[in-house]
Amino acid sequence: MTARRNEAYRTLAELSVPSEPGNERLAMEEVAGTVEGLGLPERTLERLKTAVAEATMNAMEHGNHYREEAPVFIEVSASEAELSVKITDEGSGPPAFTQETPDLEAKLEGMQTPRGWGLFLIKSMVDEMNVTGDEGHHTVELILHLDDKTSTSERKEASDGRTAP
Amino acid sequence: MAVRHLEVEVRREPKGAVLDLRGEINGFAQQALDAAYAEAEEGDPETILLNFEEVDYINSTGIALIVGLLARARASKRSLSAYGLSDHYVEIFNITRLSDFVSVFPDEKSALSEAKPA
Repeated sequence: MTARRNEAYRTLAELSVPSEPGNERLAMEEVAGTVEGLGLPERTLERLKTAVAEATMNAMEHGNHYREEAPVFIEVSASEAELSVKITDEGSGPPAFTQETPDLEAKLEGMQTPRGWGLFLIKSMVDEMNVTGDEGHHTVELILHLDDKTSTSERKEASDGRTAP
Repeated sequence: MAVRHLEVEVRREPKGAVLDLRGEINGFAQQALDAAYAEAEEGDPETILLNFEEVDYINSTGIALIVGLLARARASKRSLSAYGLSDHYVEIFNITRLSDFVSVFPDEKSALSEAKPA
């Protein structure tokens, strides 16, 4: 991946959304509109939208604690090979993602909270996810590989030994 | 973009109770979903069907709410079915393994045809 990261990226959009419940949909639709010209397959676009929504929701809730004056910043950029969406909040300390892998049976038995799907969904929807932070910000970067012929889910299903529905 | 708060109507069919869902399944949906599910349970149906045909957004909190409904259904030995999900949300039901416990159908006709008679 190092070689890919050295490629020239062009910024497609710099967006911000107020940290209000429900605004993750605004973020995902804005990003979807921004990448419209890239010709992403419909399934890939839907997966990107879910990943953006979940990362934005996490940023609004855990990073900015739904303070309206603390927006979530979103930078969309692309190279020939990759699409990158960076989602930044104003949180401090380690990014607050539930690290426990969701186990549906454990949730149904009351051994895990029913929540905690966000990170799992993001990781399932994109090719790479990188989390960085400093004393005043967290950034989650979502990466899609644009030069692969197969879609993200098809690759994941193949690696899991599953087939597409 | 205004949030489309979830609206739910409960419909009784010979083979089960149908929850017609309309809007977004997110953190705002809990009260409407819980109330509708409780109403559907009143007739003690063997099967409760979730109609997603008019749902255009489900987030991780919404997934958690569906897990909650599934837990309630299992506790009362009811089966939970779903239909009308978009391909994307069928994929999410698959990767979360919800589809291992919730029967997923393309439409109401097929969902009802598989449901046991009340």
